[in-house]
Amino acid sequence: MANGERGIVGATFVSPPGPSCGGTKMAASMLCRRTAALCRTLKGISCSKTVLSADSPRGLPPQSASYNPRPLRLNLHRPHIPDKDSEKTPEWQKSSRYDRKLFGRYGSASGIEPASLWPSRAELDRMTAEENEWQPPLEVMLKNVQAREEEETQRRLAKEKLIAANMAKMPKMVADWRREKRESKSKLKEEKSRRAKLLAEARERFGYALDPRSPKFLEMVAEIEKEEKKKKKLVKRRLKDEQLAAPPVAPPAASS
Amino acid sequence: MSFPKKTASKALGILQNLPRISLANLRPEPGAKKAETRRGRGQHGGNRSGRGHKGERQRGTRPRLGFVGGQTPFYLAIPKYGYNEGHSRRPQYQPLSLRRLQYLIDLGRVDPTHPVDLTQLVNARGVTVQPLKRDYGVQLVDEGADIFSAKINIEVQRASEGAVAAIERNGGVITTSFYDPISLGILIKPVPFFLRGQPIPKRIRGYLADPEKIQQARLALALKYGYTLPDISKDELYHMLSMRKDVRQIFFGLAPGWVVSMPEKKILKPTDEKLLKYYRS
Repeated sequence: MANGERGIVGATFVSPPGPSCGGTKMAASMLCRRTAALCRTLKGISCSKTVLSADSPRGLPPQSASYNPRPLRLNLHRPHIPDKDSEKTPEWQKSSRYDRKLFGRYGSASGIEPASLWPSRAELDRMTAEENEWQPPLEVMLKNVQAREEEETQRRLAKEKLIAANMAKMPKMVADWRREKRESKSKLKEEKSRRAKLLAEARERFGYALDPRSPKFLEMVAEIEKEEKKKKKLVKRRLKDEQLAAPPVAPPAASS
Repeated sequence: MSFPKKTASKALGILQNLPRISLANLRPEPGAKKAETRRGRGQHGGNRSGRGHKGERQRGTRPRLGFVGGQTPFYLAIPKYGYNEGHSRRPQYQPLSLRRLQYLIDLGRVDPTHPVDLTQLVNARGVTVQPLKRDYGVQLVDEGADIFSAKINIEVQRASEGAVAAIERNGGVITTSFYDPISLGILIKPVPFFLRGQPIPKRIRGYLADPEKIQQARLALALKYGYTLPDISKDELYHMLSMRKDVRQIFFGLAPGWVVSMPEKKILKPTDEKLLKYYRS
C-alpha cells in the first residue's frame, strides 16, 4: 500500500482476542479508496448515500466519505540507518529512543532487535513501582479517603467534647469568679475602713493627723494589736471553760 | 453563464475564438480593489493628515491605554478576585453538538455502522482536539437533539443529559470514558504514534459504573424525557452496539503492549510473562 492509509490500522492483518471484543474497520478502510475516487469526481456534492441507519441494508455496504491521507514519506527504498559503531554519528542517533523510531519507520529493515522495543526488567520494575505509588486501585483510594475522614471526624468530636466539658464547668467558674471579685472588694473595703479607724484613733490620741508611715503610728498599731490579742485569748479561755463545764453536765444528766 | 440551448453552439464558437487570456485581458471585478488612503497627499489626505486639530491627538502624545487623567483607573479600582485563577490547569472538553454529529453522519464522514470513537471523529475532521491545551476529550452537547435521528454506538468523554436521551431514544448506545493526556494524544493521531515504534501504553483507568445502575438510569431518563426505551438486544446491529473498549484499551482491536509495524503491516506482541502481566493489569 504505497499511499499508506490512515484511520484505525488495527486488526486488518491480525485477528487478536484482545481484552475485550474489539471492532474491526475492514469495510471502511477498504472503502476509503473507492470513496476517495468517488469524492474527487463529485466535488462539492456529498458523497454518501444514506449512511444513517442500517435498518435496511441494501446488500452494498454504505459508502462513507473520508479525507485523503497525508503521504507518509517513509523513504522505504533508501532508508537512512546510522552506523552504531562509528564515532561520527551523533549520540542521539545511538539511543534506544531513536532505535524505536527507526523500527517504527522501517520495520525489520532497520535491523533493530524487536525485543528491545519493550521496557527492560529494570525499567519495568520502575514503571510498576511508579504505578503502585501514583495510581493505587480504587479500593485503596477509597480506604485512604475513609481513613482521612475518620481522623477528621475524630478530631472534630474530641474538640467538641472538650468544648462541651468546659462549657459545663462554666457556671461554676463564673460563680467562683464573681465570688472572688466580691470577696476581694469587701476585703479592700475592710482594709480601708480599718486604716481609717486606725488613723482616727491616732488622731484622737495624738491630737493631729499623723502620717501612717511614721514610727509613732506603727507603735500605736502594735499596741492596739496586742490588746486585741489579749482580748481574743480571754474570749477563747472563757469559751473553753464553758465547753468543759457544759459536756460533763450533759452526759451525767443523759446517763442518769 | 446561462445560455439557452439554441445558442449553445454559438457560445462554444465564441469561446473558441476568444484570444488567449493574458494580463492585458484581465481586470478586477468592480468594487474588488479599493484604493488605499495615502496620508499627507492631496486636498483630502493632506493638511492635518487625518490626525485632528492640535492637542495630544495630533501630536501623538496620548497617554497609555487605561489612563483616565489621574483618577484611579477602572482596571486598578476594581479589586482582584480569582475568577481566572488556575484557568490554565482546568480540564477542557471540546463541545460536539448533536446537530454537527448528524451533519457528519449525513455526509458520510462518520460511519454509524461501526463504533464511533474520538479517532473516527478526528479522522472525519468533525472535531479538533488539542491535548497540549489541556483538552481531555470531547463532550456531547444537546443542541440539535430534536433533529438527531441516527442509531450509533458512540464513545465520548462527557455528555449532557439531553444528548444521552437523544441518542438512546434512537436506539443508540453512548459511553463516557476517561483518557489521560498521553492516551488522548495517541488516540487522535494513531499513525504518528505507530511510527514511533513504542508499545501501545495502558490507558490510565477511570471510574466504572455499575451496569445495573446504568440500566436503571436509562429507564429513568426515558421516563423523564418522555420516550420508550428501545430494546437494543433485539436489534440486528446488537453486536456492534454492544462493543465497548476495555478500561485499559486505547484502540478497538489492539491491546496494550502491542507494537504495530506500519511498513510491514504487522503487529508484534510480547511473550515475556512479566510484560504480559504488566500490560494486562
